[in-house]
Amino acid sequence: MSSEAEVMAPGLKTVVEDVRELLARRSSDIWPALRTATRAAADFGEMLSLATLRKKAVRAGIPGGSDKTIRLAMTGGSSLYPLHELVQQTIGAQSSTGWWETELWKGDFDNYISEILDPESELYSFKPDVILILPSNQRCVYSGPMTDSQDLQRTEALRQAEDLLNLCRIAHERSGAEVIVANFLPAAEFDPGPFRVRTLGSSWNFRKLVNLELGLRAPSYIHICDAEFLATRYGAARSHDPRAWFETKQLYSSDFAVEIAREVGHIVASLHRSSKKVLALDLDNTLWGGVIGDDGMTGIEIGGTHPRGEAFKQFQLAIVALAQRGVVLAVCSKNDHKNAIEPFENHPEMVLKLKDIACFQANWEPKSENLRRIAQELNLGLDSIVFVDDNPAEIEIVKQFVPEIETIWLGPDPAAYASQLLNSRLFEPRSITDDDLRRGEQYQQQAARAQSMDAGTDMDSYLASLEMHSIISEFTPVDVPRISQLINKSNQFNVTTRRRTEAEVEALLTSPDHYAFSVRLADRFGDNGLISVVIVRIEGVTALVDTWLMSCRVLKRQMEDEVVNEIARLAKLRGCVSVIGHYIPTEKNGMVRDLFPRMGFSLIEETPELSIYQLQTEDFTPRETHIQIDRRAYDAN
Amino acid sequence: MTQTEILAKMQTVFDDVFLDDVKVTPELSADDVEEWDSLLQISLVLGVEKAFNVRFRVGEVEATKNLGEFADLIQRRMSEGAKA
Repeated sequence: MSSEAEVMAPGLKTVVEDVRELLARRSSDIWPALRTATRAAADFGEMLSLATLRKKAVRAGIPGGSDKTIRLAMTGGSSLYPLHELVQQTIGAQSSTGWWETELWKGDFDNYISEILDPESELYSFKPDVILILPSNQRCVYSGPMTDSQDLQRTEALRQAEDLLNLCRIAHERSGAEVIVANFLPAAEFDPGPFRVRTLGSSWNFRKLVNLELGLRAPSYIHICDAEFLATRYGAARSHDPRAWFETKQLYSSDFAVEIAREVGHIVASLHRSSKKVLALDLDNTLWGGVIGDDGMTGIEIGGTHPRGEAFKQFQLAIVALAQRGVVLAVCSKNDHKNAIEPFENHPEMVLKLKDIACFQANWEPKSENLRRIAQELNLGLDSIVFVDDNPAEIEIVKQFVPEIETIWLGPDPAAYASQLLNSRLFEPRSITDDDLRRGEQYQQQAARAQSMDAGTDMDSYLASLEMHSIISEFTPVDVPRISQLINKSNQFNVTTRRRTEAEVEALLTSPDHYAFSVRLADRFGDNGLISVVIVRIEGVTALVDTWLMSCRVLKRQMEDEVVNEIARLAKLRGCVSVIGHYIPTEKNGMVRDLFPRMGFSLIEETPELSIYQLQTEDFTPRETHIQIDRRAYDAN
Repeated sequence: MTQTEILAKMQTVFDDVFLDDVKVTPELSADDVEEWDSLLQISLVLGVEKAFNVRFRVGEVEATKNLGEFADLIQRRMSEGAKA
């Protein structure tokens, strides 16, 4: 069963029958129903029925579908049919408002190497956004004797991994597309027996090593569809089907192909959407067993030698592990505040402490209201929150009143809580950057700064006391993952909210028509890391601010002023007479509505969709700040 | 299950796989339906296996000439399953 299916409450599942009925009624409700049914589909048969229903809905012209089109090229050492049907289905269902259409190009059977190597191939003229490579499983074997030296066998495994990565690299460089590559299925036959573990020459060990090297060596633009992991989780013997290979060259058994397709859909979505930021937790029967208000400190089940208590403790440990990776924790509970905080403060078995909770809402208001309050206090969008509760009624209310919030219904057995959270796939980092690992620290520093502000008398002396230092740098390859992360998740301080894939960001490194720089800020309380991204496009004598975003952590620190100083400096350097700034309003970026005028730009055009501002570089004098700039962009030193 | 009953159940699989309406009859074969190519055949066979909870051996579906023969094959495999 899929992870998405596991987190769904029974009775919330839209079945294939409902979709069929909506098609018959030509209702545009078919799109959300198709999304839900696709996420919940249990096997190949259901998936295929849904694919046919979707095609019929498109043919019937039912509105409310396509809200994004993804150009996907598939190439591989096996038949890509009917896998492509499943992949189109799982990608489509990633939309949150309609359906993501896939424009598809499929390579010929087992022709992937020449399709990638030939610069004239259709693969490239198709201009894909994403290339999915499914390499030949058969070829990933050690062809020599099992008794060959380990060095020889290891060298061959490395060569095979490098060859495949090289193909991916070429595909990426020639197309600019993101590359998804499946790794190799684990061998599932008993032969050669227990000896398999003693040699790298057995398919079992050989493929494990190739897969291991693939993952460890893959650059960030190569996304591994981890068929080895998926097959291990699903059952290696059930993952392939010799008859399907002989008859129609299917690499995967039909039901396992659904798992692969789901993973591809998930990876494609992660290229366009960031993971969630906040985990909002219920308390009674979620973090501990029992009801604190009724059972009291001695009555609740947490930790110790009690099996239920152990299960709740394990759940808390899983939550803490997410928090250490940068997920912000909140509490949303129907309780008296005094009762609710007591276990956090005084129960010795509690893993979670009060300091771990960034926002604590325990009262008798509806949870939907409290979740809105959490979003406000943390200054984050509702859609960055995941709400967790054991009570299906609370989950229903939240789904209904704040549909932007993702929910996890925990169900009746605390033994399953930890794995439900870990299999929800809602908090997966695309790549873990140093900044993520230090986010917890940064929140503590933020608290220290806030106290410092309380103590200080005026803003100016506060800013001076921070002893701020900044480094402004043109985009560098090592910063690309963090920059892409910011580009794809920043909503509030973001003047145009223009998203870019990692490949598109990478292209800016060498673009002659762009100035693209990032800003780091440190102060006496610590390093804030990379906090701002700016992309300026040069159009003759005009410098157009294509993208300007900043982490809200460093608001009101004069960093905006220094960014404008830098943009103006670069524009002058290039002989531009003016800088043009665009503000494209969204639901979330109200905080930068007056950013450009505050920075000395004048309004030249205004419509509800776009405001255009201008700054003459000639009249511009750099704005005074308390930030010392240690290095500037495109500066050799 | 009789051949007629099997064909009736196959109709639901066909409705799930084909975009156009295709009426299942014992005489029908791939040559009669434009949409029914070798790729669609893959989905069809997998769909039939799911619907009837049977498993065909390598090459044997390809050897059937029309849906009547296909239904007979399904029947044989179903009775095997019942014995096992």
